[in-house]
Amino acid sequence: MRALTAALEWQSRAVVGRHLRVYLKNWHTSFLPPVLEPITLLLAFGLGLGAYMTSGVEWNGRPVGYMTFVAPGMLAYATFMTSIFQSLFGAFIRMRYQRTWEGQLTTQIELRHVVWGEILWAGLLTTSYVAIMGLVLSCCQALGLIQLELGYLPLVIPIVFVSACAFAALGLCFTALVPTIDHMNLPIFLVILPLGFVSATYFPLGHPVLAAISTANPLFHLAEGLRGLLLGDNSGYHLGSLAGLLALMLSVLVPLDMRLLRKRVLGD
Amino acid sequence: MPPLLQARALVKRLGGRLVVDGVDLTCHAGQVLGLLGPNGAGKTTTLRMLYGFLSADGGAIRFEGVDVSKDLDRFKRQLGVCTQDDTFDGDFTVRQNLEIAARYFRPRPPEVPRRVDELLERFALGPYAGDKPEALSGGFRRRLMIARALVHRPRLLFLDEPTTGLDPQARVAVWDLVNGLRAEGLGIVLTTHYMDEAERLSDALTVLAQGKVVAHGTPKSVLGDMLGDHVVVLEANDSTMPAVAAWLTTRGLGEPMSVLGAWQLPLSGEQLADFAREFPALRYEVRPPNLDDLFLKLALPCAP
Repeated sequence: MRALTAALEWQSRAVVGRHLRVYLKNWHTSFLPPVLEPITLLLAFGLGLGAYMTSGVEWNGRPVGYMTFVAPGMLAYATFMTSIFQSLFGAFIRMRYQRTWEGQLTTQIELRHVVWGEILWAGLLTTSYVAIMGLVLSCCQALGLIQLELGYLPLVIPIVFVSACAFAALGLCFTALVPTIDHMNLPIFLVILPLGFVSATYFPLGHPVLAAISTANPLFHLAEGLRGLLLGDNSGYHLGSLAGLLALMLSVLVPLDMRLLRKRVLGD
Repeated sequence: MPPLLQARALVKRLGGRLVVDGVDLTCHAGQVLGLLGPNGAGKTTTLRMLYGFLSADGGAIRFEGVDVSKDLDRFKRQLGVCTQDDTFDGDFTVRQNLEIAARYFRPRPPEVPRRVDELLERFALGPYAGDKPEALSGGFRRRLMIARALVHRPRLLFLDEPTTGLDPQARVAVWDLVNGLRAEGLGIVLTTHYMDEAERLSDALTVLAQGKVVAHGTPKSVLGDMLGDHVVVLEANDSTMPAVAAWLTTRGLGEPMSVLGAWQLPLSGEQLADFAREFPALRYEVRPPNLDDLFLKLALPCAP
């Protein structure tokens, strides 16, 4: 239980504060990816691929323009990738190369706070990233490129934050396990990219086997939940499933992260 | 008045191996306690348990008589830790490193900007305040590490091999800083491989070998207990060496310490007199023992 309540302790906030200070020092470069990513993807998937799909896609029994279909998926995919990569590479570099964690652990900060600091920071960073993407999507809506229910956009923020925290907890497991940064390819190609493919983020899952597998994939429920929300459809099933999966991930993965990292960082 | 830090019967297993086996040690305010021992003796593991990085499998650590396990957070507020490797934050400047370290303590250290200025001046880091730590020389990096460990005004400081890799001038500068901190009443626990450093800085020594305390006391008393009063140095290629080896064996003194073709025999006054009677024609030198001798003796696998 203490592993979970440590998220609320001041030490976890101090770790987040440290990461935020570093991020704000480089704000001018940090803001570029969330602005450019949706523009690039909308151009590539929407205008490029979408040009071949003039009739759009069928979603929940109704036709939807491909760019409109892709936009919520893009938010879900960004949530997944940003948080996972932050907890994989960002945390690994701080743990192994910069030795930031070791420095923090000689103070009143304990390993459980370092772990939560990394998770909460990934959640916060991802949420700000998605919020900026939301602003870019609003501009696209104004230009008539997509048709979303933008009034629901504020509801996306807390969903994205909790999802990003759970994905970061998954990423930290790999950070604790991979021996070197080169071995990051293993979780990326064996776990992360397959999860991304079976998620209905960029294309609907028509194949029954893929559709069955995707029901256990939190990214699928996040993508479909956000899509339901932003396309004004019923998203209760997917958001409910997402809540259950995220609660399971956080309650299992956070203590597991602490156990694995205790061995890795403290040698204990 | 209870000592600042007291550890009793500390035990730690790592990877199924007993690394620390019943270690006792005590450090008072205004005292430097030197923790010595060869590689693998358990010094760093002991130190890591003392500053709360590792939890002990057995034993107790008390700070001013209070069991630290009851309130580890409060105990850690009183500690400053300078690890063996540089662990400063490379994303920040020298000044920001001190400021960010202050944020890792509650209650928050008062008047942080003034404290940071004070430390920058005291450790001669002022000219580098706006630089990244990577730009500093080895000696100034160590100064930054020690300054960072002091930003919250701790009462007990852990220094894990603080001068390893430094040139003689930088080492002396660190010694002066440590002396100054002791004079201010800080308790300091120090590990080092440099025997001259341990002798000069330590008020008391605790010597570890294979995870156990093998000697404790002032540097002089530890040497007397572990090595005797004299060290006999003689050329190892002398034809009488087999006879000397046999003499050592019959008296249960074990193998001689061999250094660069010379044998070093730590002997008590009585044993030296006996040795002189036994080998009247042998040429040798007699000198007082030092901590290097102790280190060599502990490092010898067959040492008695």
